Amino acid sequence: MTRAAIDPRKGYRAGELDFFSLVETVIAKAPRVLKNGLPNLAFFRAANAALAQPDNEDEGHGYTQVEFWLALARELDVLRIVQDRLETGPGAAQFFGLPFVQRRERMREAFLDCRAMNDFALVPELELPGLKKLGTVDSLSDVPGPEARSAARRTVLQTALGCLEETPLRKLVQLLQTQSPGFAMDHSEDTSWRKVHYRGIRERGGREDVERQGGWDRVEGAYIRWLVALPFHRLGWLDHNPATQTFEPLDGDEGEPSFEIIVQPNFEVLALGDRLDAGQLWRVASFTRPQAEGRVRKYMLEKKPFTDALGSGQSAAALVALLAELSRKPLPQNVRFSLDDWGASSERMKIWPDALLVEAEGVEDLASLLPEVAREKLGLTKVSGGHFVAIAPDAADLRQNLPPRRTALDYSRRLAPVIVPQQGLRLHAPAEVLHLRARQLLELIASRQSADYWLLDAKLVTAASRSMDPEELRRRVEEALTRPLEPAHALALRGWSGEFAPAYAGTAEVFLCHNDAQAELMETLPEFAAWVDRKLGRGCWLLRQGGAAHLRKLLQGYGIKLRDHTRRT
Amino acid sequence: MKFHQHVGVIEAENEQALVEALTIARVQARVLAKLAPNVAVLEREDAALVIDALQKLGLHPKVMQ
Repeated sequence: MTRAAIDPRKGYRAGELDFFSLVETVIAKAPRVLKNGLPNLAFFRAANAALAQPDNEDEGHGYTQVEFWLALARELDVLRIVQDRLETGPGAAQFFGLPFVQRRERMREAFLDCRAMNDFALVPELELPGLKKLGTVDSLSDVPGPEARSAARRTVLQTALGCLEETPLRKLVQLLQTQSPGFAMDHSEDTSWRKVHYRGIRERGGREDVERQGGWDRVEGAYIRWLVALPFHRLGWLDHNPATQTFEPLDGDEGEPSFEIIVQPNFEVLALGDRLDAGQLWRVASFTRPQAEGRVRKYMLEKKPFTDALGSGQSAAALVALLAELSRKPLPQNVRFSLDDWGASSERMKIWPDALLVEAEGVEDLASLLPEVAREKLGLTKVSGGHFVAIAPDAADLRQNLPPRRTALDYSRRLAPVIVPQQGLRLHAPAEVLHLRARQLLELIASRQSADYWLLDAKLVTAASRSMDPEELRRRVEEALTRPLEPAHALALRGWSGEFAPAYAGTAEVFLCHNDAQAELMETLPEFAAWVDRKLGRGCWLLRQGGAAHLRKLLQGYGIKLRDHTRRT
Repeated sequence: MKFHQHVGVIEAENEQALVEALTIARVQARVLAKLAPNVAVLEREDAALVIDALQKLGLHPKVMQ
């Protein structure tokens, strides 16, 4: 039996459980991502607490392990940022669905090739103040770039794996310093006056960059020690003993997983065992709510994650079977009953929030018209009425699988105007070019005259404006029409919808002045103001009923005679 | 046959269930089309509103995504 098979705390399987704990914390917290692209501090604390051997916050190194696993999760697309939140990505199901050995290889390759991870920023003994200024032109740094970092990881790994027995870390550092001192950074000009320091690299808490003279162990040495202690140890290449500062290679045999789950009547699922398998746990976590707190792996069976899992293509029967398979005892009856009920009730209402809809027109039989290969590739399922629906595919996938000479109407954009205004209130809307938005609009505001012709209907427009803002209604009409309505009909439409209040035409009592000076003087008379309903313009007022006679009498008192006509004088 | 990409689609057990869901989410007036008595097509934002509204009531539809 190998070392890793004997001690389940060593090897890749143990490291992967830390990685999985991070994923579970993301599922449980759905943390918001800050402007720097990282989740908030509360998330880091929670994820750190879920690790087998958490980092000590008081030591001031930050949460190195969480940052390390987070970088790998992003690299593998297990986690991704969706609308400012960190969520599991499509790569998660793909990754955890792989057999153990393939998962390990993918994770290791992801680490060796990871460009986004800046290893030197994670070394506890070092600080990279230059990182903050890398955006400026005058900032110089000796921190290796992504290609050099990747090559450095491989060089150290090869050298470490070449040590066949328990080896002091100090010896590995010395070996690399002798054999390949420039494995991470160029040292060919160390004697030059221009290369006195490791530019942009300081010891933690230091005030100046580390000097190159005698600094190799403090910079490259610290990096090598970090590589062995965290990535190589946690990814199962080596077994690192922090007490003796030694390491030895592992042979890769990690033994079979051995664990069981206990499903409790209160809907808690506990995973117990000394060799938990992240692949199986992922299957459980994919339809439960992981409780990331504490060391015991606990999952809550709840309706939402369960139905979400059904929506992503899993069947209720398969999920119940998985629980039964992993559990030594039969599932509690109340749990089984609830799971069956949740499965059945979710079937009563299916929602595709972002779908590709293939609409059957008339008596078309899509089952025979759509090629079976395209149906399978797009994942189309039949719904009532003979139509087909699928989760909206990528544009490229859709293009590849569309039948010849067919295009898809993309509702994430503004669609082309397709309704042609005719003479009067008539609208020409050929059925073959109508999209759903245009059809909805026509149903709202017009009555059908024939297959392709509609008539704007005042009653329908008025009714539509009760459930929709009149301005929104006008915007939709303007978007759907190939050209503007004639002014009279535009006026009518806005009148029917209530956007324009009814206008008035008829007799009224008004007061007209000869010029501005006369108007100004009139406004100073309190008796005049008492009869004014509202001002219509310069020198023009609408009077209250009886105002004309009253003002005429008032002004006569001052010897002012008013004219009897509205013609210009 | 027409292809409509990026729309929201709801298929309910029956017409009444569909009407209830649309009413709860207050999107009945914004339905783009009813392709069958129990099938409605909406804009994506409106479909998300229906999901939210149902989940707030403890009803969990099968969300295909």
